[in-house]
Amino acid sequence: MSGRARRILFLAQIALCVLLVAAVLIPVFLSSMPWPLSARDYLQANGLAESGASNLVSAIYLGYRAFDTLGETIVLLVAISGTIAIIAHGGAVLAQGYGLPSGTASEPARHLPPKTRTELLEVVTGKLGPVVLVFGVYVMMYGHLSPGGGFQGGVVIASGIVFLALGSRVDASNSLTSPENLVRIESAAFALLLLAASSGIISGSGFFGNPLAGAGLTPVAFIITLNAIIGLKVGAGLGFMCIAMLGRGK
Amino acid sequence: MKFTGRFTVSPESSVFSLVMLPLLGAALVMLAKAFLKGRMAAGMQFTAMLVGLFGPWLALLYTFPLVWSGLTVEGVIGNWSGVVGITFQFDGLAWLINALGYTVAGAAWIYSLGAGPRGPVFSSVFLIQTAALAATAMTADIFNLFVCLEVLGIASYVLVASSEKNGAFLASFSYLMVSASSMVFFLAGLFGLYRLTGSLSYSGISQALLALPDQGGGLAAISLSLIIAAVAMRVAMMPLYGWLPDAHALAPHAVSAVLSGVLIKTPLFALSRIMLIVPLGAAAAQLLGYAGAATAIVAVLVALSQKDAKRLLAYHSISQIGYVVCAWGAALDLGMDTMAGQHLMTAAFLHAFYHALFKGLLFLSIGTSTDRAGSRNVYTLRGAASTLRQSGERLPITLLSFIIAALAISAIPPLNGYASKIAITYSLKGSWQYWVLSAASIGTIASFIKLSRIFWPQPARIRLMATEEPSAVFMPSVATARHSGLPAQIVPGPMTDTSAVKRANLPVGISQAMLALACVASGLAAPWLYGFVLRLLDSAASLGFTSLNPGPALYTADNLLKTLYMVLAGFVLFRLAVSALGSRLLSLVRDRHRGFHGLFLSFAVGLSVLCVWLLLV
Repeated sequence: MSGRARRILFLAQIALCVLLVAAVLIPVFLSSMPWPLSARDYLQANGLAESGASNLVSAIYLGYRAFDTLGETIVLLVAISGTIAIIAHGGAVLAQGYGLPSGTASEPARHLPPKTRTELLEVVTGKLGPVVLVFGVYVMMYGHLSPGGGFQGGVVIASGIVFLALGSRVDASNSLTSPENLVRIESAAFALLLLAASSGIISGSGFFGNPLAGAGLTPVAFIITLNAIIGLKVGAGLGFMCIAMLGRGK
Repeated sequence: MKFTGRFTVSPESSVFSLVMLPLLGAALVMLAKAFLKGRMAAGMQFTAMLVGLFGPWLALLYTFPLVWSGLTVEGVIGNWSGVVGITFQFDGLAWLINALGYTVAGAAWIYSLGAGPRGPVFSSVFLIQTAALAATAMTADIFNLFVCLEVLGIASYVLVASSEKNGAFLASFSYLMVSASSMVFFLAGLFGLYRLTGSLSYSGISQALLALPDQGGGLAAISLSLIIAAVAMRVAMMPLYGWLPDAHALAPHAVSAVLSGVLIKTPLFALSRIMLIVPLGAAAAQLLGYAGAATAIVAVLVALSQKDAKRLLAYHSISQIGYVVCAWGAALDLGMDTMAGQHLMTAAFLHAFYHALFKGLLFLSIGTSTDRAGSRNVYTLRGAASTLRQSGERLPITLLSFIIAALAISAIPPLNGYASKIAITYSLKGSWQYWVLSAASIGTIASFIKLSRIFWPQPARIRLMATEEPSAVFMPSVATARHSGLPAQIVPGPMTDTSAVKRANLPVGISQAMLALACVASGLAAPWLYGFVLRLLDSAASLGFTSLNPGPALYTADNLLKTLYMVLAGFVLFRLAVSALGSRLLSLVRDRHRGFHGLFLSFAVGLSVLCVWLLLV
């Protein structure tokens, strides 16, 4: 088969693929069915009272469907470990945090090479870093009241960590941007999350039940706790991954 | 669930320890890696693996009396309202899938102690994968099923990529792309069903659909086909199997065993929960059953053509899952409230279970042999048995394991594969699937005769080259050794005399012996196991199997005679396959063009066929 014929065949296959998929998918999204209301009405009537969170999104993802959130957290965790493993096997960076054989990886480069560092970058990121961190903590801790929560706050914290790593001087060491500490925070937060999830079993409110239910606290305390743990885990994990990627350019 | 002063674990909580114990193990592994060094870290990692992989057996023992008496542990996670919460359902089926998963995962982990991979990343991701298997088995909520499949998927991409083999990254990437895109379609289907019913739990969806005029009509059919196609992609049935051979062939052997043994079956049985109760479920199952029969025969022909030993095994996994899907689809089509449906589902699960044992064993024994021999080419590798002996295996455990597993997959009595294949074909007798599956069995026999040649002693003509093969994976160094005129035995192979291999022999031997014993024992106890599984699966429909039903008679003259004929036909097919014309034909099959876009095209075609089928029913 000539190159041209092969190319036409290839394009025809792609076109067929797109056509078939579109034919199946379009009716789903153009459906004129009335929207279902049962979950909405239920949340409107009971969401605040049952979970204590006025941001009903966090009532859903850390209350009613916290088990799904645990799963998504694990997806992120595995994705990060996988990325780090691939980066390290790629021959560049940061094996130490993940216990990979150091033969395949060089020492972690915590700073940009001199050529790409500029005064401007250093000053701006160094000054902004702490502010971004504080904002991240705010988003994380106020997730039950306003849009935000552990995942969003964690991502902001991770960008704060990246700013600090970019802004730190070549010879300065920063305990928040050191891979060892980030890995420690991440693994400890994961263990805490599992403990929080199963502590309801011991206190009698069941798996993923609120362990603080009988202690006279509002139910929202559990959501705040989970938000904080998830925020730490996501922030440390993503921050670690970004620092690993920064270390590539030598 | 009130705290009554005395510490009691409710069934609801004990069921979730099946998920939480491996997760806790993963957390411990990560903590050990982050905070401890050296011997302490290794010790804690080992403890964490024990907790995560063997602790759940306690929970399985604890919940066994419940499921045995036909009860189902069900509820909403966190005791929320069922309107918005996540419902779960732990019944006999979930118990069986968990038992299957923890058996294979335990054996695979012991194997990995000897032959790798090791390290905290592997350990934690392996535990997370096992936890996701347990969660998938008992979920009764469609969004939770999505999350479980995502966790299962991402863990297996990382595990496949953890192999050192060339191409493993690419295999993992194409697996990732295909299954991640199929999950987008799953989400679209989920959206469609939610749009119609406003519910995410299986029972809520089916009740709302039944209440709708026309039971949801076209949108329900399309949404259901989107969800089923995405899960079928994970199960690797026709025509959605293209990602599997690379991923399973290039993964580390221990991971291949789990992927082939457990990972492709769990989504199938999890899907049966929803297919049983939604309208159109039976019709979809019927088509999937047909696809299963086609999968069994097509994949075995491709397997017969393979050159790489592990890739050959991977195609056999597809073929064997075809048997399972065929029986599973027929069972759901008949309905689990009929006697025949129950028997077919039992046969499907038993074949899935036995396949997990013998295919796990095949991956481990072939992996060990080809690693020691330094070659995976079925056509050139010979004398693997003597290589194994040279590498310090005093008892030929690997060879025996291979023989047992190959006889089991070829359905030779009294091994377990014989029992489950008889059970499947017995229930399908008289239909066209019966003949297709029998033909596939002949192909399986031929293919394993071909594979077993790697253990035959090498003919004199290539003796020198083949004995040197252990010393050098690549041909150039073989050539230099021959030039220098050294006798083969003096050149020590990199894999044969290091003490690492000797130390690796123990866990490798133990894990293989465990699985081999399980194959033999489950073959001998097949009638009893049949009754056991039948009764556990019955817990939902409660047809009331009070005494253990031994299933179809195994050793009738008819069955034994048929086996004899099939073995003979297998030999004939093998001779044909290695003849000049046969090998030319097979090389055409082997070298057919396989493009990345083909994976997506086959998904689109499979999806639209299923969709049209459901719309026309």
